[in-house]
Amino acid sequence: MRALVIDDSRTMRRIVVAALRSLGFETVEAQHGREALDVLESGEEVDLACIDWNMPVMTGYDFVVATRANPEWRDITLMMVTTESEHGQIVKALAAGAHEYLIKPFTPDAIRDKLQLLGLVEYEETA
Amino acid sequence: MSAAIDMGIFAETVFAIAEEVFTAMIDPEPGALQPALEPTELSEDATWAWVDVHGEHPGRVMLGTDHDTAMLLTRALLAVPEDEAVSEADFVDAVGEIANVVGGNIKALVPDPGPLTLPQVAPVPPGDGATLLHRAQLVWRGHPLVITLWSLS
Repeated sequence: MRALVIDDSRTMRRIVVAALRSLGFETVEAQHGREALDVLESGEEVDLACIDWNMPVMTGYDFVVATRANPEWRDITLMMVTTESEHGQIVKALAAGAHEYLIKPFTPDAIRDKLQLLGLVEYEETA
Repeated sequence: MSAAIDMGIFAETVFAIAEEVFTAMIDPEPGALQPALEPTELSEDATWAWVDVHGEHPGRVMLGTDHDTAMLLTRALLAVPEDEAVSEADFVDAVGEIANVVGGNIKALVPDPGPLTLPQVAPVPPGDGATLLHRAQLVWRGHPLVITLWSLS
């Protein structure tokens, strides 16, 4: 599995990347939506994109809209990872094509739980 | 922003929000962040980080602490050991991101909020005539830390 982590904060990228790598993901990073589109247009194949909302140049919401407009990228799972916690914002992102929504702050366990729901991480067997 | 937020609720909620942010991002075990029992004064060598909320009730959420404490926060957030240097870019980004996450969650208390600005970090607070609405005095690992809410109307 390969994940694209999109956040203008290098701190948050580092936190998300660490959580994803602990779950077995390879990662590639982008500082905003436009840079993330450049990554996809370069032919990079990813299974998951973790997307901040508020970023310079291109917001995460605009990235979701652009990604969903391209049939070649329809299989990419899109998960918003953002401080935007208002119900209206969540509905707007999901309506645009995001699959899941994770509100900052989050723990590594919260990322794992969301990815399990999305079928990208297997549930752990309990004794 | 003052008319939009019940300040009594804000005072009760801001610590809960800050505690959740610090527990999730910085200290896995709760208890490192506590309300200050005495008035909190920062040194002249302070670091301030803030985000503004646009919209019908514009406001600002600002976090302030001594520079050395901000550096400790950065090391804890990024898991940088004591013997390893922290770059200025990492320092500014980490402190700004803490303000961003705290501010984003406080923004949810405002009815119909507009977008959040990107975080700003500086050694002095912005001098733009904002009106102080509330000052939450806290201590993190024994070091003073304040979170303030401002009206930009």
